[in-house]
Amino acid sequence: MKFYFPKEQGQQTLDRLNARSPLEPFHPVVLQFVAALSQRFVKLRQFPEIVALGYWMRKANITSLQEQWEVANLGRNIKARGTVFHIAPSNVDTIFIYSWLLSLLAGNRNIIRLSSKELPQQHTLLQVLLDELSNPAYELLAERNILLTYVHNDHTTELLSKLCHVRVVWGGDSTVHAVRRVPLAPMASELVFADRFSLSLIHAASLNELEQEKLIQLTGQFYNDAYWFDQLACSSPRLIVWQGTTVEVEQAQQRFWQALEETHASKQAEPQAALQVQKLSTSLWLAASDEASQVAHTSAYSRVILDTVTGEIRERHCGGGFFLETTIQLLEQLAPIIADKDQTLTYFGYCKQQLELLVSIIQTRGIDRIVPIGRALDFQEIWDGQSFLRSFTREVVII
Amino acid sequence: MSYPYNLDKNSKQQQLLDGLNELTAHHMEHNAAYRAMLTKSGQQEQGSSLEAVPYLPVQLFKLMELVSVPQEDVVKVLTSSGTTGQQVSKIFLDKETASKQTKALVEVMKPLIGGQRLPMVIFDSKSVLKDRRSFSARGAGILGFANFGRGHFYALNDDMSVDWDGLEQFITQHNGNKILLFGFTYMIWKHVVQEAKLKGKTIDFGDSILIHGGGWKKLQEEAVDGETFKLTLQSVLGIRKVHNYYGMVEQVGSIFVECGQGHLHTPNYADVVVRDPITFNPLPYGQQGLIQVLSLLPTSYPGHSLLTEDTGTIHGEDNCPCGWKGKYFSVAGRIPKAELRGCSDTYAFGGGRSA
Repeated sequence: MKFYFPKEQGQQTLDRLNARSPLEPFHPVVLQFVAALSQRFVKLRQFPEIVALGYWMRKANITSLQEQWEVANLGRNIKARGTVFHIAPSNVDTIFIYSWLLSLLAGNRNIIRLSSKELPQQHTLLQVLLDELSNPAYELLAERNILLTYVHNDHTTELLSKLCHVRVVWGGDSTVHAVRRVPLAPMASELVFADRFSLSLIHAASLNELEQEKLIQLTGQFYNDAYWFDQLACSSPRLIVWQGTTVEVEQAQQRFWQALEETHASKQAEPQAALQVQKLSTSLWLAASDEASQVAHTSAYSRVILDTVTGEIRERHCGGGFFLETTIQLLEQLAPIIADKDQTLTYFGYCKQQLELLVSIIQTRGIDRIVPIGRALDFQEIWDGQSFLRSFTREVVII
Repeated sequence: MSYPYNLDKNSKQQQLLDGLNELTAHHMEHNAAYRAMLTKSGQQEQGSSLEAVPYLPVQLFKLMELVSVPQEDVVKVLTSSGTTGQQVSKIFLDKETASKQTKALVEVMKPLIGGQRLPMVIFDSKSVLKDRRSFSARGAGILGFANFGRGHFYALNDDMSVDWDGLEQFITQHNGNKILLFGFTYMIWKHVVQEAKLKGKTIDFGDSILIHGGGWKKLQEEAVDGETFKLTLQSVLGIRKVHNYYGMVEQVGSIFVECGQGHLHTPNYADVVVRDPITFNPLPYGQQGLIQVLSLLPTSYPGHSLLTEDTGTIHGEDNCPCGWKGKYFSVAGRIPKAELRGCSDTYAFGGGRSA
């Protein structure tokens, strides 16, 4: 084990951690710390995802989160769980910072296992974190948080798993499988973040009514959802479901893809050659399957039009602007397409009642978020169907 | 004229175009997957120019098995070399395609090494040839080139150390004869040159010619270029002539060898097109881009027109100072692997790539 924070190494640092009492939820020092981080993050303009994180952490948002929390828990006795052990994904992603912050807000002690490939001094985000944690004003937090790394092995994972009251596993299916082999303390609980799939739902007739300017706005938002993390964030749309008649859908597709091509060109993003080849290969591979009826490849995107969406076809996805498409006539026809692993549905042209009806007829585990196109990557305190703050706290019942 | 580098642009292009269009039609008829790919992606079946002939990305052969003859006609399956855990290409050859491949290899090499079988040293170990029906790219390369030689001597032991005594004996035995040497660029550098340097060995092969290929990726990492490679081999092993070749297991018949000027040449029945790596539009000569290879040979699988992941530059056509006709070009390297972010680990906990 190598400790990035605090500087002292070894078992005694771990022992000391659990000797500190947890803090009360929304402790003033935590609020100050979060606000200070937020101010530094929003200045990192070269990293839009860190700016978004900073914006989410801004004082106004945290205050409103606290107010909602207090209203919901009025008269209840809520305490932090204790120690939370976070296993971060190897490509330290901002999303794991959100869960750590929420654990801090809940009042927990934290152990964060960073990828052994990650050097904090080369990572702007971690650098800022370590810097702020070293500020004497946040001593309360410095005593309650450990950032470390180790080469993956069940022995160390078990040692840390036995110390914690909640284990949080990022990194997708294979990491979840590997970590689940390692037992937790009997009293501990676990949050895991498996591989997910996300899709968009577009009402063709509504899109056809859009003026060109509004359409460009929509494709701009869609572009952010899909291209920001090379389409590999859990919530980036990979499948577009079009609802309407054949004529409506064909018109909508034509307008949409043309506008997206313009959007793509205006962003002046530099696509990677390897990705272009990979998208061409994957689209041709899919073209050979019975489910696909048509494929198209441009430098901005690859499209594969499917007659039926099967689980196997969905897995053949390479990211980077690769879109599966299918058409439904009635909204109800979407329900059977939804699979367990589906997370975010981004939409255009629907009202809340229609979406509530859709949710009520989905029979699988699928769909945890339904948000307008453009908000796929927004973080919510409720993620993958569970509230972080609830999972990171417990209620003491007094009668 | 030096066959197969004798056709000039006009006659070659028409011959190639007709042949490639025929091959496209052949694979459309005999390969349902190929037909689906072309039809569903709305491609013109018959190209009006070489640049308009439909192509498949080489990577596709790693994703799926593509074969245009009945399974029972397959006599040989070639696989690409890949590091552990990587997917490999599978290339299916029937008797006809396999024999065309052998013949083409002989023809492209003849102008360099002549028609006689020369005493031959292979810088590899004999154990790569174990399975006779399923060959790795290394095994297939060795077997193909072995046809040019006699008295084959495999210079590497199973542990990749050099059999120096055996080499000395071989040179003494063939004293005065021209010697043919063959091997893979990186293996020669890593196992032969480095060991010679380390042990202070020098050898003089005398009148000799080395044919080597297999990519520069690893040597580029060690900052070794073609010129350094040549000079080092001349000084350490006394090899007089060193010729690189470019080819890939996925396209039978496309073996492009270096002429005396150090340019890779296209023979009569194969060609290259260079494309923009992002838009895939054809680029003019002199500009670097993705290499597309064309060959009249593959009939048992749809590999007559392939987009590679290598970058290179076409320097000209029909006017290389060496006197050979056809396009001549150089290879710069492989396009860098896509670096992607996302919620899932790129390197999963406990190994293996997550979905």
